[in-house]
Amino acid sequence: MTRLLMKGNEAIGEAAVRAGCRYFFGYPITPQSELTHYLSRRLPEVGGLYLQAESEVASINMVYGAAGAGARVMTASSGPGISLMQEGLSFMAGAELPCVVVNLMRGGPGLGNIGPSQADYAQATKGGGHGDYHMIVLAPNSVQEIMDHTRRAFDLADQYRNPVMVMADGIMAQMMEPVDLEEDGQIQLPAKPWAATGTAYHEGRNVINSCFVIPEEMEVVNLRLEKKYQQMRQSEQLCDGYLLEDAEIVLVAFGTASRLCRSVVDKARQRGIPAGLIRPITLWPFPYDFIGEIAGTFKCMLAVEMNMGQMQEDVQLAVKGRIPVYHYGRLGGMVPVARDILEEVIKLYGGGAER
Amino acid sequence: MSNEVFFDRKEVSQLTIKNRISVFTGGFGSGKTETALNYALYLHSCGEAVTVVDLDLINPYFRVRVVRENLESKGIKVISPDGKLAGADVPALPAAIYSIFEGKGHAVIDVGGDDIGATALGRFKEQLNVVPRKIFFVVNTCRLHTREQSGIIKMMRGVERTSRLQVNALICNTNLGRRTDANIILQGYKVITGVAEQLGLPVAFIAARRELADQLGCPGAPVLPMDIFMKPPWEDFIGL
Repeated sequence: MTRLLMKGNEAIGEAAVRAGCRYFFGYPITPQSELTHYLSRRLPEVGGLYLQAESEVASINMVYGAAGAGARVMTASSGPGISLMQEGLSFMAGAELPCVVVNLMRGGPGLGNIGPSQADYAQATKGGGHGDYHMIVLAPNSVQEIMDHTRRAFDLADQYRNPVMVMADGIMAQMMEPVDLEEDGQIQLPAKPWAATGTAYHEGRNVINSCFVIPEEMEVVNLRLEKKYQQMRQSEQLCDGYLLEDAEIVLVAFGTASRLCRSVVDKARQRGIPAGLIRPITLWPFPYDFIGEIAGTFKCMLAVEMNMGQMQEDVQLAVKGRIPVYHYGRLGGMVPVARDILEEVIKLYGGGAER
Repeated sequence: MSNEVFFDRKEVSQLTIKNRISVFTGGFGSGKTETALNYALYLHSCGEAVTVVDLDLINPYFRVRVVRENLESKGIKVISPDGKLAGADVPALPAAIYSIFEGKGHAVIDVGGDDIGATALGRFKEQLNVVPRKIFFVVNTCRLHTREQSGIIKMMRGVERTSRLQVNALICNTNLGRRTDANIILQGYKVITGVAEQLGLPVAFIAARRELADQLGCPGAPVLPMDIFMKPPWEDFIGL
């Protein structure tokens, strides 16, 4: 075990290499550029390929090709580039191809700015691309978690033969924290008998395809995919609770916002306010089960997001109208200030937040 | 040298007469910005007129310009992209940088990370070769690419290649953020001393968090006690 000081971007790259990823296709964009910089140096060291594509559309289709051939493969971008990749992501979900896509969100819509944001929540969790599909979305909140969840993302992608997204923002990508690196051992990658590796490697034809021209056949595929998504909903919901036992007002936040909220909860407790925090780690599948079960014991919830309430809707769906779910957000590359969140908590707890 | 006082007032005034400009280079995340800021504040506290130059075109987060107001309120001049360009991701340098080569006082230049970040420094090669200056190379041995001698030398040579300037001294800034202890710093200092001996360069000083600075004993180089400026938003409790 080695303890190092790492940036989020470096941790993503190193975790990918350690997960056996040997192919990266992408295009630099702030605040992701250090990741491409890192992998352009690191992948050749392990016999891998870093390729800077001409665009994000090209990148995701190269990812499609590598995944179809059975490789562990990754791409990364920020909002504008991820938007360009949506068609490819839908194709990969349709063709049941595993890959890891990293979105380091920035202020938007449009070209926006390079400030940290969480405004791509809806795009990531409610489709983004066309057709009935889902992908697992992981939201780490420390450099250690970035390392651990990026690595796990490759396993989940292979397990479900589906794209998996790791989603964070510029602060997570750029900040530095100590990370424990395990010794780099041999990785046993799962067999992929479905991959198009050539008839020397498998019996009969393996076809990678998302085109089903006969509606009856497409519907069968849709139902098969839905079965898989249902299994993800049952097995993969992940969240973290903090001081929930006696909590009356509970904040819900992921990624950067959750780090802020944890200090806000501590400060609120010092003032005698029974506050708690739920931190979704999987944004899809959203931890509906946990929040649904426990929400009845709280008086109200407050979704704190760097967007205008995209996750708040999921919290409301979990709560099913039993208690009010409020929202506090900062937008456009602005980060909430802990003091302002605390004031919101005091306001809600002091009046109007009763059942 | 005693580690209670970094350099005394006399030494500082001699240092700054000998060197009008201190340039801080190093790998990504080696702690150049924190070290440069603390060095500038130290010179300022000794009565020197100090200008800080933000030459970091690489990292749009955690750079000098976010603490500009703080420095200016103390009387330190800051040269960095202004106004609309402060948050932009464009490789633009303010023309005011040229003033440091002509004016009086001491300038501290915070360069971007790695060989890529040092490219912008090469722009000022001509000017830097005709003023008394020191180019420091900041090393944190807890960073992946600069854990060992060979990695440190490779990184330093890269910075020298793209900046077309030669490093004059090393700085030990070994740290694990909040998990740093005295032992980690001393182990790092040992590695960096080895590099310095091999290259025939001095280790100018050791940078250490203020609470650790007096736990290092007499390590063999002066110790600069550091206050940390670049904090994530959840460590900012102003008004709480």
